[in-house]
Amino acid sequence: MRKWLLAALAISVCTLCAAAYQHARSGNAGWREIAWPFPRDGWPAGRAFHCDAGACGGEVELYVRPKIGFCNCDSGVADDDEVDRVADLDLISERFVALDVGQPIRIGEMAGRSRNYGLQMPDGSRHAAAGFALSRRCDLMVAAAQGNGTASAVERAASDFLASGDMTRWMASALDGS
Amino acid sequence: MNRSVRLAAFLLMSLAACGGSADAQQQVIGAPPESSNMRLVGYNDLQARSAYQPTIHHQGDRWIAYIGHHGGTDDIPDPVNPQTGKAEPNGTSIVDVTDPRQPKYLRHIPGQEGKYESGGAQMVRICDGKALPKGDPGAVYMLRTFGSEAHEIWNVADPANPVLVTRIGGLKDTHKSWWECDTGIAFLVSGAPDWRTRRMTQVYDLSDPAHPVKIRDFGLPGQEPGSSGAVPTELHGPISTGPQGNRVYFGYGTDKGGLLQIVDRDKLINGPKEPTPENLRFPEISRLPMSAFNGAHTTFPMPKMPIAEFAHDKDGQVRDIVMIVDEAIHNECGEPRQMVWFADVTVENRPMMISSYTVPEASGAFCQRGGRFGSHSANESMAPVFYRKMAFIAFFNAGVRALDIRDPYHPTEVGYFIPSITAATDRRCVPVEGKQRCKVAIQTNNVETDERGYIYIVDRANTGLHILELTGAARAVAGLP
Repeated sequence: MRKWLLAALAISVCTLCAAAYQHARSGNAGWREIAWPFPRDGWPAGRAFHCDAGACGGEVELYVRPKIGFCNCDSGVADDDEVDRVADLDLISERFVALDVGQPIRIGEMAGRSRNYGLQMPDGSRHAAAGFALSRRCDLMVAAAQGNGTASAVERAASDFLASGDMTRWMASALDGS
Repeated sequence: MNRSVRLAAFLLMSLAACGGSADAQQQVIGAPPESSNMRLVGYNDLQARSAYQPTIHHQGDRWIAYIGHHGGTDDIPDPVNPQTGKAEPNGTSIVDVTDPRQPKYLRHIPGQEGKYESGGAQMVRICDGKALPKGDPGAVYMLRTFGSEAHEIWNVADPANPVLVTRIGGLKDTHKSWWECDTGIAFLVSGAPDWRTRRMTQVYDLSDPAHPVKIRDFGLPGQEPGSSGAVPTELHGPISTGPQGNRVYFGYGTDKGGLLQIVDRDKLINGPKEPTPENLRFPEISRLPMSAFNGAHTTFPMPKMPIAEFAHDKDGQVRDIVMIVDEAIHNECGEPRQMVWFADVTVENRPMMISSYTVPEASGAFCQRGGRFGSHSANESMAPVFYRKMAFIAFFNAGVRALDIRDPYHPTEVGYFIPSITAATDRRCVPVEGKQRCKVAIQTNNVETDERGYIYIVDRANTGLHILELTGAARAVAGLP
């Protein structure tokens, strides 16, 4: 009987470890969905998420939404200027400065670019931020993240979360018009 | 029949009726066009090429239509030109419309390789050499875009045998430019490689088309090289009133975040040219920001319009009006309605929207027909036959719409024409649960008029050119016999 109990305990622990590993690996750890915080603009509202400092190395918020038909069907996201234009940084603050050249990024079926920024907030404070512009055919998926850590930490946390299974499935579904 | 069977039968009949109703709105090959107070005069298939800007030019004793094209489609990237037997990337069609009943296709000039908006040669403007200050009096010049990479000027004095004159290249995009024939000043919609926006303005002196002289780059502060922060909406197209009117009306945006910018032409051309935020603001008189839901494809000025309703007022009897046309870009109503707006800009630093117009969706179940529904563009001819009296609006699957605009505070539709589809009409698709669902519908893209009173509409979905005339009450509005 004792052997059976130990075996069951071992299986449970392994299962929990595997689940935890999967959770962490999927980039979801520490993230929770929050209400879309911006007033209505030309695009329908998207989804917003918050990550606790413990999980993301600093508080991070991420805003992500599709922009259907907003991309060059052939060239996709062509350059960093396009990330500046479309990635919704201006929802957070109109005043942002790119910190470096952007990087190519691929998430699921989508390819595009990400770029790190410094934001000057209306109250004078400064935030780190990252912008993402990903295309699939003629459609865009854009995301902007801000946090109180470094821009590269914000970018890493946000890109890991965007690459998680739940998010890639949702983004694909949103671009499919579902 | 018990109650549940009767209920099932009722539901099935209702379903069939709904389906039948939707199907009834679908265009089918062979069905007649739909029209009111407009009549088909002539037709050309334009080699089944997706068409954008038409410009009609009175050339000697002939009338020639120059029609820009978008790039090809996935199915047919380079349609065959029957005159050459070769597959050619969509470019510019040149059609003799002297007899509008029998338009004669003269020549296709290939454009940039590429599909849809990534290729072709969308835009066309024409100036006679004898009108330009330093032009060859024997030449007729055609300014066109070459896809996204260049502007070109051709001599089309012999429209069947055009000759390339010059090229302004090295661009990342182009679009709907404006060319003043009496001065040669051109406001070219370009994508300068170092600007942060896809489309801005390059002002050129093209008074001698063989030797273009660049005057300056222009755009909204935040678009210029080296700037940071939010990037304002990109340019769609300007229209100038020339040295007499001394205004250029710039339309920014397509279907979102539109903006009408009123600019002092003289300050734009002769003011400080370095693209600093201060210098970019210098010639601006005012802006009329639109809703985030709408963009500005066409900003068509109609200065000094007498308004009958205000005739006995002590002031403000005559108004400066700008008609702003949004562009729908999504199929099957996948965006806020794109439509037509009228702005009173008489008090230039306080421009105000005064009225709007849209086709009633229910009048044709246009959201179910397929393709785009909403406005795209207006005629841009300022010939007296229609100017300040009537406007013609390309409304995609609702065809062309004729508006009585004599009272711009209350624009009224007085006619319409929705062409029949043909075997060449391309399908338009929307994603539904991961799959593409496609429908075929007319996509009236652009419209232009000539001094004789003919209306030329072209189709984005490859259906060709339809030449129309007004009938009935609409003809009376224009004062045509």
